[in-house]
Amino acid sequence: MAGSGSTEAVQSAALEYAPYIVLLPMLAFPVILFLGKMFNGNKMWKEGLKEGGLIALPVMGASLLISLWLITDFIGGSGHADTAGWTWFTSGMWDSGQTTVTEISLGFGIYIDHVTVMLLFIASFLCLLINTFAIGYMNTDPINDNRNHRFYAEFVLFCSGMLGMVLADSFLWLFIFWELMGLCSYLLIGFYYERPSAAYAAKKAFLTTRVGDVFLMVGLAMLWTLFHPYAGAGQGALDYSVVFYEGNIEKVAASSSGTLAWALGLMFIGAVGKSAQFPLHVWLPDAMEGPTPVSALIHAATMVNAGLYLVARMFPFFGAEALHGDLADLAFIIAAIGGTTAVMAAAIAFVQHDLKKVLAYSTMSQLAYIFTGLGAALYLANTLHWHEYLADGTKNPDYYVNHAIVVVAFGAALFHLFNHAMAKGMLFMASGAVIHEVHHAHHHLHPHDDHHDESPEELLMLANYLHDSDQSVFGFFNSIDLDQSGEIDTYEFQKALKDANIADLPPWEMKRLMVAVDMDGNGRIDVPELELSLGRIHLASLAGDDDHHDHHDEFDAQSMENMGGLASKMPLTATAMLVGSLSIMGFPLIGGFWSKEGIIANTWRVALDDPRFFYPAMCVLLGAAMTGFYMSRMWLKTFAGSPKTEVAAHVHPTNTWIKTPLFILTFMSLGAIVLASMGFTHWAPDEYYEPFFDGKKSFVEGFVYEMEHAFANSDAFFFVLTYVAILLGAIVGPGLALSLYGGKLDEGEESLPWFAPVLALNQMVKGRYHWDNSSFAQSGFATALENRLYFDHYYDMAMLKIVAAFSFKAAEADSSVIDGTVKTIERTSQQLSTKLRSLTTGSARDYILMAALGTLVLFGLIWGVVA
Amino acid sequence: MIDPAWVSGLSALLFVIGLAGAFTRKNAIIVLMCIELMLNAANMQFAAAAVHHGDATGWVYTIFAIAIAASEVAIGLAIFLAMYGQHESITLDDVNVLRN
Repeated sequence: MAGSGSTEAVQSAALEYAPYIVLLPMLAFPVILFLGKMFNGNKMWKEGLKEGGLIALPVMGASLLISLWLITDFIGGSGHADTAGWTWFTSGMWDSGQTTVTEISLGFGIYIDHVTVMLLFIASFLCLLINTFAIGYMNTDPINDNRNHRFYAEFVLFCSGMLGMVLADSFLWLFIFWELMGLCSYLLIGFYYERPSAAYAAKKAFLTTRVGDVFLMVGLAMLWTLFHPYAGAGQGALDYSVVFYEGNIEKVAASSSGTLAWALGLMFIGAVGKSAQFPLHVWLPDAMEGPTPVSALIHAATMVNAGLYLVARMFPFFGAEALHGDLADLAFIIAAIGGTTAVMAAAIAFVQHDLKKVLAYSTMSQLAYIFTGLGAALYLANTLHWHEYLADGTKNPDYYVNHAIVVVAFGAALFHLFNHAMAKGMLFMASGAVIHEVHHAHHHLHPHDDHHDESPEELLMLANYLHDSDQSVFGFFNSIDLDQSGEIDTYEFQKALKDANIADLPPWEMKRLMVAVDMDGNGRIDVPELELSLGRIHLASLAGDDDHHDHHDEFDAQSMENMGGLASKMPLTATAMLVGSLSIMGFPLIGGFWSKEGIIANTWRVALDDPRFFYPAMCVLLGAAMTGFYMSRMWLKTFAGSPKTEVAAHVHPTNTWIKTPLFILTFMSLGAIVLASMGFTHWAPDEYYEPFFDGKKSFVEGFVYEMEHAFANSDAFFFVLTYVAILLGAIVGPGLALSLYGGKLDEGEESLPWFAPVLALNQMVKGRYHWDNSSFAQSGFATALENRLYFDHYYDMAMLKIVAAFSFKAAEADSSVIDGTVKTIERTSQQLSTKLRSLTTGSARDYILMAALGTLVLFGLIWGVVA
Repeated sequence: MIDPAWVSGLSALLFVIGLAGAFTRKNAIIVLMCIELMLNAANMQFAAAAVHHGDATGWVYTIFAIAIAASEVAIGLAIFLAMYGQHESITLDDVNVLRN
């Protein structure tokens, strides 16, 4: 939207090429889609190009290369926020109440600052790795055959959405790409759309995030209204160059700081939806219905980071001297929502058996950490005087101290975003590898287990019900055919089953029944179909063929109950998973530790200042212990102990396409200390960064600083806090898990040397302390957790009570008022015409009579007028 | 000289007789004759008025009306012939295709 950009001097060569980061994947989308349609099933397309995977790979590689170029240019160059714009088109616009035409131009612009650079790297780097992983994961599963092109096409579009959102130079473009991601998440979560649960999950994800997006849109509209008067010629009112310009913020703050707070608050709700925070978190666990690469993409590289990015983007508002203290409440709300979600999601993760679901809740919890960290950082930025000059122009005496506090707090939250993305991307890909191999092993052992359920239990019950109540199929059919159309649709069938007290099934279950009965596949059931199906099922049950009951306990390749002892079978995956788990847990020296400590410390720092913050502060501290527990539990249940099923004993290592990204990401997570030493934790709007460290600290100095800061803090309070957090996150939580789950590997099973201490520790703790958690496992709380604290239940109820009731009323109003009006007009005119028609008798004498009478009347009238 | 009022009265009487006939008779030809009767009633009125006012305009109208009546009868009889060809009847009640 930087319309005047075409005349502006572009400051860096890399910036010229930056649009290609977005454009390449976007152009690859139709290419893969159409080529896939054209060459579907072709051997060359399938083997040579991996159904589009090898088209997507170089494209994502090119995006990453340009991103890296841009990033190195940015860091090595000025290190200042930079923009470049391309005009798309210009058009006239009448301002209300003015007689002149204002020329506005619309175009795409690139805005680069530290936050952009961080997210850009995460997105392009992880997209490439996930693409690599997907080639190994998607193309080796027969159920994806001949439709992987759809996956890769949607994948690249998703990536371009994220990259575009990060690079955009205005909130408008941010919103456009934000919605593009929403669309792609819908398509990808529903990739297996023939599976009703996947279709349902896709719809749920789309609609839940849409709730947040409505608020975001209203927030943006408010922001536009506030900043519109101050946008210069050729500038959009939502351009960063307008909204982040301090002069403009000052003017807005002077007149309507309250409205601005509301606008930002509404935009934050959009972020809550996108990043799956309480109370809009319900879509995230269901999103696991998509293929695993999609989970990795959504949870690590794109989607959920978008919400965090949006909140991080608001920093200039919070940091503005003009709004000093005005946005503290909003910062608290951000932190409180984060704290709540952190604990809630971690608690639900305790009882999940599905490997991917644990990770999903872990994502939710870790994102909540970042939100809490951002909330604290924004609070600090808003309440501390951290600029060089105060509002009245005098030099700020606390400049250096406050500046450091704000920059470090903001950096810690963003660094956790980085660490979490790397670790979670790796964890999802590792879990995908595990599921993939368990699934393959299962196929290998039970090759004929894929069985289509043609005789659902409910139909048998219906047959028995008709038999017992002595009803004919035809009579029953007529009684349930509510609209008397001669055919039963899903709704009528569901109602009939409910009324007959057989079952009250949700729509996706009904689909299964419909498929079993609906022989011609037209979506409705007629009499012969019902009669034949019921007859067949009744006969089958008489013949004692209840074979179909066996297929109800289908093997679940994602359940940790079916795994165990995989450390020796898949050593590399186990290593990746271990490093990822330790990073998420905040185990000292590894990955997320550096940033998590920072978040906890900063939240407590704020809590000392503002007692409200004790709530999120306690939450993140408690969450640290909970994270330690559920991540350890997940690892131990999957990789330690002896195999829990025959299938788990026959798992083989995975293929190279899958291993490569795991390998790379393991080092990324382990190497977080290197980045930390390089000052990575101090990401913040550039110009604030330099005074703190002069921007020229050597690597060793940075390393020493980080170590000191983490382990030997000079402030007694933070010193204690650090060790409390380490104690909780790295000892108490994992310790409990070690005592409950896992165990040593089976005799003769060998694994990599670094598992030995973990497994030995596990065995020792488990042998020494035996906790009895059965009373907890049977408690109502555990049940509530397994039901995800009934959020879905209550949301469904609310939907049913409020939305459905409202819809019924609206439908009633529609049919009686709107349709009623139209129909009344129609009916009245018809009646009138019938009456008029009866005048035309066809008899000539009647017409003569009428003519005579008419003449008489005319004469009468003329006579009356004349007289 | 007869008082024009009497002539007017006779004309009105003839008109009403014609009208009543047109209303009540079924035979198309009789209805046509009744219509002619009404026309002639009008002609008589014109003539009476011409005498009364001493103005030739009324006579001129009468001549025109007689000419028109002649052509009208010709057309009317032609219609009845066509009607008979279609319906094999010239009873007006049988010809009601325009009904409702």
